[in-house]
Amino acid sequence: MNDTNTINTVMRTLADPTRRGVFERIVQSKEITVSELTQGSGVTQGAISQHIKSLKQAGLIAERPEGRNVYYRAEPAGLAPLIDWLDYYAAFWQDRFANLRALLKEIDHE
Amino acid sequence: MNDVSLMSGMQEIVVDEVFPHSPEIIWKALTSGELMARWVMEPTGFAPVEGTQFTFQTKPAGEWDGVIRCKVLEVIPNERFAYEWKSGHGGNVGYGSLLNTVVTFTLTKVEGGTRLRLVHSGFELPKNHTAFESMSEGWPEVIHNLVAGAAGEDPSKN
Repeated sequence: MNDTNTINTVMRTLADPTRRGVFERIVQSKEITVSELTQGSGVTQGAISQHIKSLKQAGLIAERPEGRNVYYRAEPAGLAPLIDWLDYYAAFWQDRFANLRALLKEIDHE
Repeated sequence: MNDVSLMSGMQEIVVDEVFPHSPEIIWKALTSGELMARWVMEPTGFAPVEGTQFTFQTKPAGEWDGVIRCKVLEVIPNERFAYEWKSGHGGNVGYGSLLNTVVTFTLTKVEGGTRLRLVHSGFELPKNHTAFESMSEGWPEVIHNLVAGAAGEDPSKN
């Protein structure tokens, strides 16, 4: 896939505030249905479905059908084009320092 | 402040923490290949000797094979340890883009333990940064939380 197209698609998809709001709610829930997303959103179920479609096409969410329901969840890999190394490694090293703290505790008792 | 942070468009990551352990034991965790594998990633070809080249294998992206190429720059026992950290490919945007950085650990003895300061320097501000930041307040926080979750998984295990 062409990276420039990918980043443009992701940026364009998330530039719409309503759609971004839908995505943020999906991110905050483990899994969520269209009707749950519609409740209290102030927009119609049809509009939510359209936003879901765009988010799916941009690779930002994934779906899991079960019975009559379809559950949506965020796909963090879809955000990769927006994630720069600086953000990535800031989280990486904080996480690794926590590992180090645990390791030191272990080896210092030997 | 050092020269790197004064260069326009260049940024660095700093993590600075005090550990209730001696500099000697922290030094061992920093510079033993076997112990590095237990808290950073498993190195290949590592030795704590200046000039030694070694690698870490991580998740590939686009034309980048996921290999981080490192070279030991400085070894001052119990005080300072630095290595080059090069990775990525010019064809990638975001994760997997070209990276030419330096990782430096500095140890300082303090009351009750050791201050460990990590500086990962040489990041060029990505071209998309301004557009991204202007999207919305609070939105970078959402991304950051997602990234923190993703970075918490060990990419070498995928």
